[in-house]
Amino acid sequence: MCLNHNETTQNPSHFEDSDDGNTPAHTDITWSEYNELIKGMRFFDPHIHMVSRTTDDYQAMYQAGIVALIEPAFWVGQPRTGLSSFKDYYSSLVGWERFRSSQFGIKHYCTMGLNSREANNEPLAEQVMEILPLYIYKEGVVGIGEIGFDDQTPAEEKYYRLQLELAKKANLPVQIHTPHRDKKKGTERSMAIALEHGLDPSWVIVDHNNEETVKSVLDKGFWAGFTIYPFTKMGNERMVKVVEQYGPERIMINSAADWGISDPLAIPKTAALMKMRGITNESIKLVTYQNAIDAFGKSGQIDVTDFEDGMESDHSAKFHGNSILRGGQQPAPAKNSLLIQ
Amino acid sequence: MSDVIQQKIREVISQNTSPSESDWLTQKGSSDPLELMTAFVASPRNLHKKIITVTPEQAWELNAEIAGFSVNDWSLVRLSRVWLLTQLDSSDKETYVKNISTLFDTAEMNELVALYSALPLLSYPDEWLFRATDAVRSNMGFVFDAIALHNPFPARYFSEQAWNQLVLKTIFNDKPIHFIEGLESRRNEDLAMILSDFAHERWAAGRSVAPQVWRLVSNFMNDIIAGDMQHLLQSRYVPNQQAAAIASFESGYKPAIELISNYPELQKSVASGKLTWTDLETTDLNTYVPQP
Ligand SMILES: [Zn+2]
Repeated sequence: MCLNHNETTQNPSHFEDSDDGNTPAHTDITWSEYNELIKGMRFFDPHIHMVSRTTDDYQAMYQAGIVALIEPAFWVGQPRTGLSSFKDYYSSLVGWERFRSSQFGIKHYCTMGLNSREANNEPLAEQVMEILPLYIYKEGVVGIGEIGFDDQTPAEEKYYRLQLELAKKANLPVQIHTPHRDKKKGTERSMAIALEHGLDPSWVIVDHNNEETVKSVLDKGFWAGFTIYPFTKMGNERMVKVVEQYGPERIMINSAADWGISDPLAIPKTAALMKMRGITNESIKLVTYQNAIDAFGKSGQIDVTDFEDGMESDHSAKFHGNSILRGGQQPAPAKNSLLIQ
Repeated sequence: MSDVIQQKIREVISQNTSPSESDWLTQKGSSDPLELMTAFVASPRNLHKKIITVTPEQAWELNAEIAGFSVNDWSLVRLSRVWLLTQLDSSDKETYVKNISTLFDTAEMNELVALYSALPLLSYPDEWLFRATDAVRSNMGFVFDAIALHNPFPARYFSEQAWNQLVLKTIFNDKPIHFIEGLESRRNEDLAMILSDFAHERWAAGRSVAPQVWRLVSNFMNDIIAGDMQHLLQSRYVPNQQAAAIASFESGYKPAIELISNYPELQKSVASGKLTWTDLETTDLNTYVPQP
């Protein structure tokens, strides 16, 4: 996809607020050289939008050791015009996309919610709230998410609060999307409101953190999610430093890969970099696998035996006489750079 | 829908649930539609994930109520969901159809399986015809199976064209056609000819068709299909020869009968009833791989 600087300020979900139009510096470190370092490791990506990704991504992810993922409901890039498009989108998260993922041997979970940006269309938001209960109890729905603030408007706050209540009623973890603009304030406000509604911070994952927000999030007892997203969010060298400084407890990393310029291999690449920089295997496992399972597993929907030793693909599930992974097809090796800047 | 079948299903559920699970279901089954529908969705969060056991008597009784209806090998969640649907008040058609439609529109795969499994028990069957034929187009294997296999709804309500599509897609997807309810009674000439064309395409591509599908043609044998029988008899794959022998014998069509007289051994085992379609009912098909 081609986004010039002007377009990026229009409102993409994760791809936002580039500092400048500079292209990243080239680096000598290549992914193919270093993926030896993570051989045998298993990864869990707790935030990725597969609906925007291709089969190449699934193949590369599987090959890089990603065994399971969570797809949060998000903004698909252009405004939805009616309730039906929400229904179709939510249904695809628990239906077609989950099936597609299973065909590549990756266990697919999702979080369900009305995202902040779309909370501002109140008549539509109202209708979405009516059907949301039919989705949040579905199998494999591991939380309410991603919800929170974008512009930090009153409407956003209203639907954020309503969904926190829904999460409490359904006994589900909450995945908070923190805003790109005025992030520090938005993060603090999101946490304060969650606490005000009586949520246990150990049931809340605050996402898209950076060096400025992490301390407060951890101090208050929340989980801190970090999105390794080129140019605009965290780079993985910065991420290594965060783990060095704060340790691996209650920290988890994700790719948040979507329709923007993003990288579905952000987790394995970051793990390789961590390994290279001397972070222990145990710490790597916590931030790239176990913490996400512990946090979202509170939903009661994650059974690690479904994926920890490889997922059994359902070979009887075929279409047009073939599964998506046609017999004999080999996943294409990924040859991108190891560093994400 | 009869109360009897509701009761029978409830009986099976009771034997497969703990008292607390059973209480949960009873309570949800008599609640207002929205809560009942939410319970339909939330069933896996409240019920054990296991396959139910059904006694032969129970299976027989269910089948006696609705011919071809079976819950064998269902999960507890699937059966409970079907039962919850039978508890939805159907007295007001518009509301009932709206509620079920909402469940269809918002369903994930396992919910779809339950919804399609429940079709033979739902009120206003004509209302579900479009969804049922649509399910035949599904790319999700379990959803397709729920409508196509062990489900009496299609045989009872599908048009001939929709029926033929279902059978053909079952063959196309390498699924065993002997699990289709009403397979024998809804055989038709169009289907036989479509199958012949289909086989020609497959053969041209160096692929095969499952031998037992030729049971669909025996009543409609003609010179074209007899030609197919000859092709099969000449193949080196024994089940193909067997299928051609049975179909030809059953057809009573003279040119076809003459074909098998060249294979006295086969002819004998078919005529004596030793070789039947049952012998060819395999479930592990892979007709996309070129035959030896
Ligand atoms: Zn996201």
